[in-house]
Amino acid sequence: MLFFSKMKGGGQSPPGVGLSEIAWSWVGALLGIAPVAFLHYNLFSGDDFVYIIGSFGASAVLIYGAVRSPLAQPRNLVGGHIISAIIGVIAYKLFYPCPWFASSIAVATAIAAMHTTKTLHPPGGATALIAVIGSEKIHDLGFLYVLLPVGAGVLIMLVVALIVNNLATSRKYPEFWF
Amino acid sequence: MKFSSLNECTLPISDEDIVQAMKQIPGYLDITPSDFMEVYLVAFGQAMSRLKKAITADQIMTRTVITVTENASLMEVAKKMADNKISGLPVVKDDQTVTGVISEKDFLKRMNDDHAPSFMRVVLQCLETAGCIAANFKNLTAADIMSSPCITIQPHTPLMEIATLMDQKNINRVPVIDDRLKLVGIIARSDIVQTMC
Repeated sequence: MLFFSKMKGGGQSPPGVGLSEIAWSWVGALLGIAPVAFLHYNLFSGDDFVYIIGSFGASAVLIYGAVRSPLAQPRNLVGGHIISAIIGVIAYKLFYPCPWFASSIAVATAIAAMHTTKTLHPPGGATALIAVIGSEKIHDLGFLYVLLPVGAGVLIMLVVALIVNNLATSRKYPEFWF
Repeated sequence: MKFSSLNECTLPISDEDIVQAMKQIPGYLDITPSDFMEVYLVAFGQAMSRLKKAITADQIMTRTVITVTENASLMEVAKKMADNKISGLPVVKDDQTVTGVISEKDFLKRMNDDHAPSFMRVVLQCLETAGCIAANFKNLTAADIMSSPCITIQPHTPLMEIATLMDQKNINRVPVIDDRLKLVGIIARSDIVQTMC
């Protein structure tokens, strides 16, 4: 019964943020996703490369919406995505005949690896999963996936974060580099 | 408001303390040590303010007060202070109303001919004249050298007010009186420091 009583919660939830924080989060995410999406849809559409993946949306929440979180720091953003991408591709190549297993082992191992390297970044789990669930274009990239879209996209978003977050007077980014 | 060492109680918590604490708590704590430090310092300051307003004189005062009467000889006063190891005490009338306060400072002031009290000046005079000036005190009473009228407070006075009062008036003790002006307790500087820290 202790097991179920642990689910009771009861802790104090944190306070909400003010209007200025909401506004800067919105602006940051807009300016961060725009270049990556633009690359994907307008500039290089039609070639065999992918420039944007779902996990970038998740990263945007952290690096533009929760800039003080340890999960949003550059080391976590870049390290988490890269490590997870590598693990995701390996999981697909090893276990593609059994996609449900490949999916689960990709995400689980990505989390363990991010914890070990102190690069825990929630969108990393998505990056690993996307390497397995595809599209076909992504499967065809193989390990190039790690550099493009993952590496390139993440660096573009990081540069935007460094600029926009520090333009805001109430913000400072990053808290730490290493 | 002037802040002095009485009004600030810095509990030194270092970055290392925080990191060690985080290591001891199992699981991932989604806050950076520096953010925690920031929250901690603000919350601590807030708690201090709250307590300073909530705690009142009657909660921390010493109720058994050592006193002397107005016509007590200075020798009696000195003996009481020496025996009890205190640096000052209130002077009361027979009905327990407070008329003044005597402290070491008052003795020193008298020994320095009412110039700024200085223990070393007294020592100097003792050495120079080979006779101690306190000798002519023998005939004086408490009423002669006490500080009067003295500052008193009521039992419901909050801690913050008492600390500020001691800072501003440069006093080390405050007698606490009830609404019939009778002595009910005393608060010393050390009581404040002990409560706040």
